[in-house]
This record gives sequence, C-alpha cells and structure tokens, in this order.
Amino acid sequence: MRRWAILCAVALTAAAGCGGGGPAGSGSGKLSDGKVVFGVLNDQSGVYAQLSGKNSVEAVEMAMADYKAKYGDKAVVKELAVESVDHQNKPDIANAKAAELYDRKAVDAILDVPTSSAALKVADVAKEKKKLYFNITAATTDLTGKACNKYTFHYAYDTYMLANGTGKTVTDQGAKNWYLVYPDYQFGQDMTASFEAAIKKAGGSVVAKDPAPFPNASGDFSTYLLKAPSLTPKPHVLGTMQAGAELVALVKQYNEFKLREKGVGLAVGLMFLTDIHSLTPDALAGTTYTDAWYWNYDLKSREFADRFQKETGTRPTFAHAANYSAAMQYLEAVQATGTDNADEIVKYLEGRTVEDVFLRNGKIRAEDHRVVHDAYLAQVKPSKEVAEPWDYVKVLKTIPAAEAFRAPSADCKL
Amino acid sequence: MAQHIFNGLVGGSFLALVALGLAVIFGMLRVVNFAHGAIYMLGAFLALSMPSFWWALILVPLVLAAGGMVLERTLVHRLAKLDPLYNFLLTFGLTLIFQDLVKWRFGVQSTPYPTPGGLTGSVDFGAFDFPAYRVFVLAMAALICFGVWFLLSRTRVGLIVRASTERPELTQALGINVGRWVTPVFGFGCALAGLAGVLAAPMRAVHPLMGADLIIVVFAVVVIGGLGSIFGSVAAAFVIGVLQALSEAYLDSALVSQILVYLVMAVVLLWRPSGLFGREESPA
Amino acid sequence: MKLKWILLPAAIVFALWLPFGLYPAVAVEILCWALFAVSIDLLLGYVGLLSFGHAAFWGASAYATGLIAINWDWPFPLAVLSGAVVATLIAVPVGYLAVKRTGIYFAMVTLAFAQMVYVIANKWSSLTGGENGLQSVPRTITDNFYFYYAALPIVVLGLLLAWRIVHSPFGRVLVAIRDNPSRARALGYPVHRYKLLAFMLSAFLAGLGGGLFAMGHRFVSLDVLHWTTSGKAVIVVVLGGIGTLWGGVLGAAIITRLEDFLSFSGFDQIGLVTGGIFVLAVLLFRAGVWGTLAKIPARLSRR
Repeated sequence: MRRWAILCAVALTAAAGCGGGGPAGSGSGKLSDGKVVFGVLNDQSGVYAQLSGKNSVEAVEMAMADYKAKYGDKAVVKELAVESVDHQNKPDIANAKAAELYDRKAVDAILDVPTSSAALKVADVAKEKKKLYFNITAATTDLTGKACNKYTFHYAYDTYMLANGTGKTVTDQGAKNWYLVYPDYQFGQDMTASFEAAIKKAGGSVVAKDPAPFPNASGDFSTYLLKAPSLTPKPHVLGTMQAGAELVALVKQYNEFKLREKGVGLAVGLMFLTDIHSLTPDALAGTTYTDAWYWNYDLKSREFADRFQKETGTRPTFAHAANYSAAMQYLEAVQATGTDNADEIVKYLEGRTVEDVFLRNGKIRAEDHRVVHDAYLAQVKPSKEVAEPWDYVKVLKTIPAAEAFRAPSADCKL
Repeated sequence: MAQHIFNGLVGGSFLALVALGLAVIFGMLRVVNFAHGAIYMLGAFLALSMPSFWWALILVPLVLAAGGMVLERTLVHRLAKLDPLYNFLLTFGLTLIFQDLVKWRFGVQSTPYPTPGGLTGSVDFGAFDFPAYRVFVLAMAALICFGVWFLLSRTRVGLIVRASTERPELTQALGINVGRWVTPVFGFGCALAGLAGVLAAPMRAVHPLMGADLIIVVFAVVVIGGLGSIFGSVAAAFVIGVLQALSEAYLDSALVSQILVYLVMAVVLLWRPSGLFGREESPA
Repeated sequence: MKLKWILLPAAIVFALWLPFGLYPAVAVEILCWALFAVSIDLLLGYVGLLSFGHAAFWGASAYATGLIAINWDWPFPLAVLSGAVVATLIAVPVGYLAVKRTGIYFAMVTLAFAQMVYVIANKWSSLTGGENGLQSVPRTITDNFYFYYAALPIVVLGLLLAWRIVHSPFGRVLVAIRDNPSRARALGYPVHRYKLLAFMLSAFLAGLGGGLFAMGHRFVSLDVLHWTTSGKAVIVVVLGGIGTLWGGVLGAAIITRLEDFLSFSGFDQIGLVTGGIFVLAVLLFRAGVWGTLAKIPARLSRR
C-alpha cells in the first residue's frame, strides 16, 4: 500500500515537472548586466508563419551581428541573445508567453507579435512589467489609440495606413465606385471603416459592402463575386479586406468568375509578398495595394534582401525588415544611453528621427509611440514582366511619412 | 435568383459528398468518422502532388480508399466492439495528427492550385453565365450521388449496406455476413471525402484546417437529414447549401448565413429529433 | 478506505506546493482545466454523454466574468460565480435540445451548438470585442503566485460539488440512466429532465473553470469558445481516466505541463504530440492514467 502511495506521489511530481519555482519577481529591469535578450513572439506554424515567423528571428540575428560588427570593442552590450516563441496566434498563449519571456528568460524587448488580439495583450504585459515591446505585424490602430502605453511602440503598418494608401489612390485613379467585401471580425470591420472614409474623402463612393463569414468554413466567396457585376451603379473595383488563406481563395475565385473581364477591378486591403508568391503574380496582376517596404525598392533594400536570402533562402517581407530595424534601433538606443533600463530607452527614443534600411524618413512619435516612415503604393506585375524570382511588384509612388499615418489620436494617453 | 440557387447547389455539393461518405460509413459501422474532414483535406493536398487534375480525380480517391481500409483494419476495427464513442474519439485524435502532419510538411499558407485546363471558361445559361469548373463540380457531385443511389438500390452490396444502415439488428439477425463489407465500405466513404477534396482544390483555399472547418457544418447537416438516412443526409446538404447562398446574397447580416445551419438543426431537433428522414432511435 | 487517507493529504500538500514547483501562471492554468475536465467527466463518466461543445459554457462564463469585472468591478469570486450562472443559463436551451439525442448524436449536436455560440461571439464584437477579445480584465491580486491560492478554494469547492453530485441519490439515478435508460424510464424517472439537470450542473462547473481562466489571464479571447478547446478538454478527461473525477484533475496537470513544455521546446506540432498520446490512450489505455494507476494496488495485493 505504501509503495502505491509513493508511486502516486512520484507520478504527480513528474506531471508537474521542474519549472521555475517560487513567486515571480515583479521584474523591474536590472540595468547593465551586460546582456540584452530579444524575444521574438510570433506565429511560427499558423497563417502568418511565412510572412513573419522564424525568418523574423533570422532578421533579428542579422541586426545583432550588424551591431557587433559596427561597434566591435566599443559595444556596450557584450552578450546578445534571442528567444523565439510560437504564440499560434492565440492571445492567451501570447499573454502567458510574454510574461514568461520577461520574467523567466530576462527578455529586454519583445518583437513582432502578429494578430491584433495577441498584440494588445502583449502591450498590456509590457506595461505591467515595464519592459519594451515593439509591435510589427499587428495592424490595429488601438495600439496607438486607446490601448497605447509607455512601453509599446508600433512599427510598420496599421489599418489606417493600408486604407488611406490604397483607398485614396485607387479612387484618385478613376475607380470611383467601390464594392467592399470584408471578413466579419475586428480587423475586417476596422479596415472597411477606414477604406470607406478614405474613398469618400477622395470623392468616390461605396456602392455596397458585404461582411463575409469569418472564419469562412467553406472558403467560398462566389456569392459576392456573382453579386458584384450586377450592382447598380456597377462598381469599378472590388475592394477585399480578406487576409492570408482567405485572400488567396477570394482572388482565385475572382479570376474564375472573370470579374476583371466584366469590368470590375481588384484592390486588396492587406497583402504580403508571400501572398503574391503563393498565388503567382498572374493571379493578381494589376492589383494595387499599400506596402510598408519593398525589398527591391533601392540598392540599400536590395543589399539587405541579398543577405537575408543567403540566411533564409527567401526574399524578406516588410515584416522581416521591420523586425531587423526594431532590433537595430533598440541596440542603438542601448549603445547611446549605456543602459537597458526601459524607462531610459523610452526617453531616448521618443521624438527621435531615425533612418535605416526599413525606416525611410522615420520618426518615433512621442505622442503615441507610432513609428512613422515612408510607405509605398505598389502594383503587382504580370509574370512576363517579372525579371527575377520574388520581384513581383513595381512601386508606383512613395507616400511620405507625414501622410502615410494618421495624426496622433486623442484616445492615447501614454 | 437562379444564379444564387445554382451557386448554392455547387456549395452543397461538397457538403453532400462529405456527408454521403460519413453516412455510408456510419450505416455500416455505426462509427461517426471525425477524421472525415481531415480526409477531405488530405484529398486536396494529395491533388497537389499529382501530375494533373484528371489523374488526381482518379488516383486520389483510390489512394485514400486504400488508406481508409488500412485505417479501418489497424485501428478502427480494434474498437468496433466498444461503444461507438471510442471510435469517434479515436478519429478525433487522428484528425489532430493528420492536420499537424500536413502543417509540418506544407505549412499553413494556402497552396495555389490551377483550374484544370478545358474547364477555365464559363457556361452560358442564358439568364446568367457560370464558371465552367463549378458546373463540372455540380455535375460530378450529382453523378456520384446518383451512382451511389444506384449501387445501393440495385446491387446486392447495396442491399446489404442499406439493410444494415436502416435495420442493423434485423440484418444481423437474418444471418447476413455484414463483416466482410465493413472494410471496403469504410474505404469507399474515405474515397468520397477524398474526391470532394480533389474537387475543392481548384476552387477553394487549400490549407490544413479546411476540413476541420467543414466537418462541423457537415455534422449539423447529417443531424438535420438524419444520419441513419443516406438520402436524408444528401438532401439536407443541398438544401443547406442553397439556403446559405440565398441568405448571403439577400440578407445584410453575415451572422444569419453563418448560424443558419445550426438554427435549422435546432428546429429539426425540436420538431423531429431523429432528423428529417431519420428513423426513430430506440428510446433513450 | 486507508488509501483515501493517504491520497487526500498527499493531494492537498501537492496542490499547496504547486506554484512553488511550477511557473505560477501554469499552475493557475492547471486549476482551471481541472475544473473543466471534471465538468466533462461528470457528463461522460456518470451520464454517458460526451459533450463535444463544452467550450460554449467555459467560454460564455469567461466572457461574462470578464465583462462583470470590467464594467462593475465586483470582487473576483463573485464575478466568477456569476459567470458560471450565465453558463448554466445558456446550458438550458442547448441541453434541452441536445438531450433529445444520445451517443454520438449528442456529441455532434453539442459540437454544432458550441460552434454557433462561437460564431455569435465573434460577430457580436460590441460586447465581446470580437477578435481583439476582452482586454485588461481588472484583478486586485496581480501576482499569479498569490492568485493561485485565491483561486484554489473555488476549485476545491467545485470539485467537492462534483464529488457530492456523484455520490448523491441524484448521481445514482444518473448512473442508472447511463446503464439502462429504458429501465430508468420504466421505473418512473423523467430521464430527459435528469439529463438536463446534469448537463446544467456540468455547465456550471465548466463555467467556474472558465471564469477563473478569464481572471487568471486577465483577458478573454475567442479561443475559449473554439471547438479545439472543447476537444482539448475531452483529451484531458480521456487521458486522465473517464468516470473517475480525479482523473480529470491529473489529466489537466499532465496536458497543461506538456503543452507548456512543448511550446518552449521549439517543436511546433503540439497537436501531433497530444493527438498521438490521445490516440494511444483510446486504443490501449482506455482507463486513463488514473484508472490504470488505480488498478495497481489491487494487483499488488493479489500477489
């Protein structure tokens, strides 16, 4: 009988395993332990794994190497490390893992974090633990609005930037009448509201807008595609806010129903280089969208893209470049201030103008921690114009940093 | 209107093929195959690795039939004598495994699949024109449903399957050897799901979770039709497909079209708990 | 009999020690999932009904608890209790319809209704926050280490309730219905009503767990309502041991610890591991960890 009790105790202990132990420290940053640890918290197995994922970890490692090369013996940070965690796009996992990264792995700054719900959660954790968080791949403007906080910076894109670039420009080009289809959840609703505002401001109108189920179990958008040409007045362009797998399905069906031939063009709310790669450029040829960065924009971008390709075998998306940039700017700040104390770093970064491979005419706004920079209006090339692999788009115009993003929101109180 | 109904029938085709396979397996084995959605997904992914769509249309169902039979012999069979819930659980576990294996191998980005040559145009129906491929899908689904009906009603195998679906105890009691048909029927059901997957590849997003999302809707569909009734499952699938298409086209709210199938299920449970075409269960 | 007096103190000591041995957030997670698993086991093990849609109750309570805490700032045990009541109320129509079917049908119907709740929550974003979820649920005990000890009594009470139900005359009727529904009906028991009541009690327990989960994470996302959450709860119960109550608790500890380990090990295919273990359990160890362990003393004493 006793043997059985011992066995049971052993089993229970084994189940619990040997974890950290003891109450968690409140986690105020010890400065200058000589070590800086990044935490890349993103989707490494789900819908965003390609556009960011593990290759973002590579990008951060490139930044670490560049920092060492640049400062050599003068580097304040002697030891650099990166922790990478898959949050599977689940906010509750992101929440738990963010706290663990800060507490257990001594992470100084968390990077990336796709999916708005997960990002908002990580921003909360950053605020509570008083540690830094550079958001790259979540699009919600809440991060610089009502959910903004002192320790969170929003890099790269947001829903306003995407809508304002694409909606305004396509309308300006003569596509006055729009039919909007969006996935019926927060991101899609926000995008649609932003697009509508941008279209109206540019003198266009929204003929109709339809929420599509999300997640769309059948992956079928034919109802909307059948409806589009029969609307009155007939829309010039179908604006889709679908992302990832759903975007791929919708574009495929758009071509099947031959809407371009029927006089209804296509505009895409959010698209990544990897989406074009997956669909092949011909499926999207002529489609206009807003991009935060493009690898073949100029020699500086290209040089980065070449190195990135050597490491990973693919060309970088804007998310990869932005992860590189965020890691680099953080290290520069540590170098300049000589500390990894988050408050000192925030003080240093606020209001600073910055320039690197990703940030063109970049500025870190003190009011809401939005990192503004030039954005680009891009158009997908037909495959016969694609000169080399991955060079799928041509940049139609540069949207200056000051116009690309919204003005600081009154909702944000840092 | 007509075009939306037509479109609904195309959507219903996938539900029908998957539901048909599910119902046939259930009829023979009393097993609800949770992995049916995953097999549909595997069918779509296998189509990617075939030399052409037409080869995939023939080979993938054969491969999955073989795979299904192995599955039945090695795993499902072991639990056959137990409460059918165990096989439901087993196939749920297999779903997780299949999904993650495909995720591992292919990633989650959806993979493009071209519309097969010869079916890229559109068919003119006078009032509206429709992509030829979709017309083909509907024709295939109708053909297969009809073919299965023919098999069931005109052949000896069909007689046994039908008898054991509708009156399992009686069939056993009459001394008909149901056992030797179990494995082929399981394989056949899997082949139907795989075929639906192949048909889906050129028109829907091919990704590892495509089947999991579908199977829950199919479950509701077979509860509506009555899982014991093969005809009921197929009919309910087409009806739900059309209702969904119409509600999407004419109602402003995406919510209604999304929960429609569950609302119909609730009404059916209130009104006829055993499904529209289902046989009364032994009282429980 | 003697065994119980060894095990019970051992379990109490273990429960009190847990946050010292584990990352406290994981320990809190285990508590919540233990309740969730027991709620499933109550139905599966003692009424013979497999609910594949319990995420609806776990999740509804998580949202209700979160909303109450955000809008009214009630003390957390009260918020959690209210959340569980909301879950119980939702269980009334769902249960009323679902208990009309048994066996696999019951599993399919509950799964479908839970999916409907998921869709509605997703759509009703003015209330639930949609994909963004409920952010910043307030909590006075901020440190998870201390929150664990605040949550533990609620979980213990929930487990006691389950134990009490199972060992009450009501529980015995449930088992009778499970074993032979026709006879139970012939004896004059209103079978559907008993099942519905059991379903509601089970939803209440799942709701307690879900409410604590919301408070533990200080956040509610749509994932709490997703069918994979229901599936995970079923895995936990089967792995722990069906019809044992304790098995669910043990299963919760094992699965939670395993997932935590996997997500830090860099192996992405968590479903492959949990799915694989689950399939093996269904094929070979249907008694589950608890059931298998429980056989050992009998075997030893036989020697």
